[in-house]
Amino acid sequence: MMPADREIVRRALRDALPLFAPIIPFGLVFGLAVTESGINHFLGWSSSWLIFAGAAQLTLISLLGSGTAAGAAIMAAVVVNARHVMYSAGLAPTFKNQPTWFRWLAPYVLVDQVFAQASLHLDDAPRDFRVYYLALGSVFWIGWQTATAAGLFIGPIVPAELNLGFAAPILFIGIVVLGIDTRPKLVAAVVGAAVTWLTAGLPNRSGLLVGAIAGILAGTIAERVRR
Amino acid sequence: MTALLSILAVGLGTYLSRAIMILSLADRKLPDGVVVALRFVAPAVLSALVVALLIDAEGQVAIGVPELSAFLLAGGVAYKTKNHVYTLIVGMTVYWLAGRFG
Repeated sequence: MMPADREIVRRALRDALPLFAPIIPFGLVFGLAVTESGINHFLGWSSSWLIFAGAAQLTLISLLGSGTAAGAAIMAAVVVNARHVMYSAGLAPTFKNQPTWFRWLAPYVLVDQVFAQASLHLDDAPRDFRVYYLALGSVFWIGWQTATAAGLFIGPIVPAELNLGFAAPILFIGIVVLGIDTRPKLVAAVVGAAVTWLTAGLPNRSGLLVGAIAGILAGTIAERVRR
Repeated sequence: MTALLSILAVGLGTYLSRAIMILSLADRKLPDGVVVALRFVAPAVLSALVVALLIDAEGQVAIGVPELSAFLLAGGVAYKTKNHVYTLIVGMTVYWLAGRFG
């Protein structure tokens, strides 16, 4: 590793640390869900590396545990995860200058936090972007495996009143604010949030997809009007 | 067995959803219109995600004074300091205080 890389890794760790806060309670909640689902504990935890997507894992395990048919539970989890297609599209232009091995490996760790933080580095030099992305991805991968394993044992005893899960929306607000450098991006963010709100009643939070697409369209239109 | 197969299916679906655009679009010359639209993926999806995280089991957005005041102040701190730690500390503190005394 070159000295410059070490600096990038250090920056990635610094950026990742606060984003870690919501992972811990989420991991505990997930661990609790596994213990209550009746599914073999090791198998339930293994979804952390077989799936590596907290919201989808929680959806799948709780639905299976409640006796939902496997097909319906799988569908619900896949809908919860559909936003990743948009992350993938958002990063695609940056991967033009990346080697094949990285194009195949990177998607495995493309969780919300990695996308959010990487989206602030899309114009970095290709090698810098790769080092940064891999450092972020490793941190969140290791953190999630550990948090969900711990959750199996301590999930049932953490006080729910702390509402630590609220740290997640707070940090995403911060990242949205940092990423808004033009008025059309502001339009995209506001419309994305507003339409998601209006469609909140749709099953499995799929209003998220409607809101996101509306936001992307609104931003594109605003950009065109500006020119 | 059902649980294992379900987990494998969702794992495969998750990987594909994350990989499909990177693998299929990275080598293509995208139309300018698409490149412009992709710039809005991050702000649109992440702000939609913030709202989606607040949706409760009844399909209502659970947002009140504690959430709103925490978002406003955390957003302001993020803008001013560009520092996630300060953003998190201020946001959670406001949220807890407003929830307790608000």
